[in-house]
Amino acid sequence: MSLVTDILIATVPLMLIFATLFAFTTWLERKALARIQNRIGPNKVGIPCTRIGLFGLGQPAADGIKMIFKENIVPRGADRLFHLLAPILALIPSMLVLCFLPLDFPWLNENSVKAFLLDGAVIFFFAITGLNTLSVFMAGWASRNKYSLLGGMRAVAQMVSYEIPLVLSAVIVVMMVGSLNAAEIANAQAGWNWFVFTPWGFAAFVIFFIAALAETNRSPFDLPEAESEIIAGYFTEYSGFKFALFFLAEYIAMFAISGLAVTLFLGGGHGPGLTDAPWLSVIWFLAKIFTLIAVMIWLRGTLPRLRVDQLMGFAWKFMLPLSILNIFIAGSALHLMAGDRLADLEEKQPVLRQLMEGANLPVVAGLWFGALLILYVAAKGLNQLNRPNVRPREYKYAE
Amino acid sequence: MSILGGGIFKGMAVTLRNFVGSYINKKERLPTNDYSWRADGALPQGIGDYPKEKGEQLSDTTTVTEYSRNFPMLLHDGGEPMDTVRCVACQICERECPPQCIYIEKDYDENGKYIKRPAVFDIDVSVCMSCQICVEVCPFDAIVMNSQFELSTPDRFGGLLVRRDDLLKSNDYYHKIHPEEAAARDQKMAVEKAAKEAKKKAAAEKAKAAAEKKAAEAAKEEAE
Repeated sequence: MSLVTDILIATVPLMLIFATLFAFTTWLERKALARIQNRIGPNKVGIPCTRIGLFGLGQPAADGIKMIFKENIVPRGADRLFHLLAPILALIPSMLVLCFLPLDFPWLNENSVKAFLLDGAVIFFFAITGLNTLSVFMAGWASRNKYSLLGGMRAVAQMVSYEIPLVLSAVIVVMMVGSLNAAEIANAQAGWNWFVFTPWGFAAFVIFFIAALAETNRSPFDLPEAESEIIAGYFTEYSGFKFALFFLAEYIAMFAISGLAVTLFLGGGHGPGLTDAPWLSVIWFLAKIFTLIAVMIWLRGTLPRLRVDQLMGFAWKFMLPLSILNIFIAGSALHLMAGDRLADLEEKQPVLRQLMEGANLPVVAGLWFGALLILYVAAKGLNQLNRPNVRPREYKYAE
Repeated sequence: MSILGGGIFKGMAVTLRNFVGSYINKKERLPTNDYSWRADGALPQGIGDYPKEKGEQLSDTTTVTEYSRNFPMLLHDGGEPMDTVRCVACQICERECPPQCIYIEKDYDENGKYIKRPAVFDIDVSVCMSCQICVEVCPFDAIVMNSQFELSTPDRFGGLLVRRDDLLKSNDYYHKIHPEEAAARDQKMAVEKAAKEAKKKAAAEKAKAAAEKKAAEAAKEEAE
């Protein structure tokens, strides 16, 4: 019985908090995109029956009510069972992986159930997010609609490709910490020792962020749901609450992957003021997640969508070699700095960080410069190699 | 040698400027919500307040800004519209229109003689994509862009087809909504007209000279 209570204490707040944040994020995204595009965005829906707008903060509630009351339409030829299962399957993994984020809520005590203390939390995270691909393809297949199927197939190709650079850039952190435990990874970055402040960590973070955008089907990698090409892709045939579930799942997946990025590279819940008020760590964690989400929204307002061949080329010919090279750089830096001391270092410790702390300033500067130079030259070379052999576009009308 | 990925940051700088600027300089960064030019003062003054209630709709001559163009109109030079309409129903715009939303029929008098004006000139609002190509190809400066944006209608079929008489607008109206553009167009037309007249004059003089020469030759022949 106490186990059930423990599990509920650990999971229910997650669901409540992130579902609320989801509603807020949809509003934030619409507002930010509108401002970027010289519009105002939602500003009417506030308190019902009055003309108080509250900056349109009531918009998510209005959207939710609309979604619930809309008719649920299933196409005649569709596979009804899988058409129903797909949105559920989309939501479950993205909700599930929230447990692996090292969110130390104040009401969790030492005996509480904490999934992020699992020894393979990072592996579990990737394994479970991988299920998202299945749900997307299931939706595309079950809809019996050519656009849905195209969207589903695009999604499978994209998500499978981008999972590789995603995982490979997370490997850097595992190398530095020597553990797959999410809490240990976060604790290894206590103080300002965030992994994004190491050269290879920085490069890995950039790769991770780009791959995360593609994993969650965010613009500019939103090909599976490209509205202007294949009419919302795999959820063309979804309406009403099923569509809302997909929408929710997508945003929760965004939170989850941003949370993982925060855990791996941005120091988890660590930030100023933690010694006096430990509960601040949750606030810091969520603030960092929201910073990443804001950048995602900003990118969505800025970049146009990639072409399908560009997308696949970018994953396989650019990101994959770079992330592998990055692992080599991290490994060689480890050996250069450690030399024959490697065996002496304690095994279950953030190995590389110990070394970085021991190194003097010129060495650190040299490492930064060397590592980033190698990566940049490699990226530049890959860019030249991948350049398609076509003439520059000749404009007929525009100058 | 450009920095790899530099274009992304350039684009992000542009969007950031738009985002922050929209809170600081509303007039410049939120141009679609500037109702500074309006028919009467009865409109909501706040930004983005339009319309909240019935009766707050903009009037026929209200435009968003001088530079908004969203639907074509036919120009006439004042007076009875069909007498001074510039359109001669040459159908160039009909043929050039990419979504083919223009439909024109020529006008004939009772003897079946073509009089240079359109009998039917319809534009389908639901098809028009506001590309302004009709304006560019028109050799008579007869079709220009209007900026009236209240084109919604409860009638799904007839209401979305704008007829000739609704499209006809005077040149004065054009000057009112797009002053700069209208002035430039008038000047261009005046220059063209002057050039045409000069050419005509030159041709007439040439013909006159030729006639004189011929007469002189004839006189010479007679004398011989």
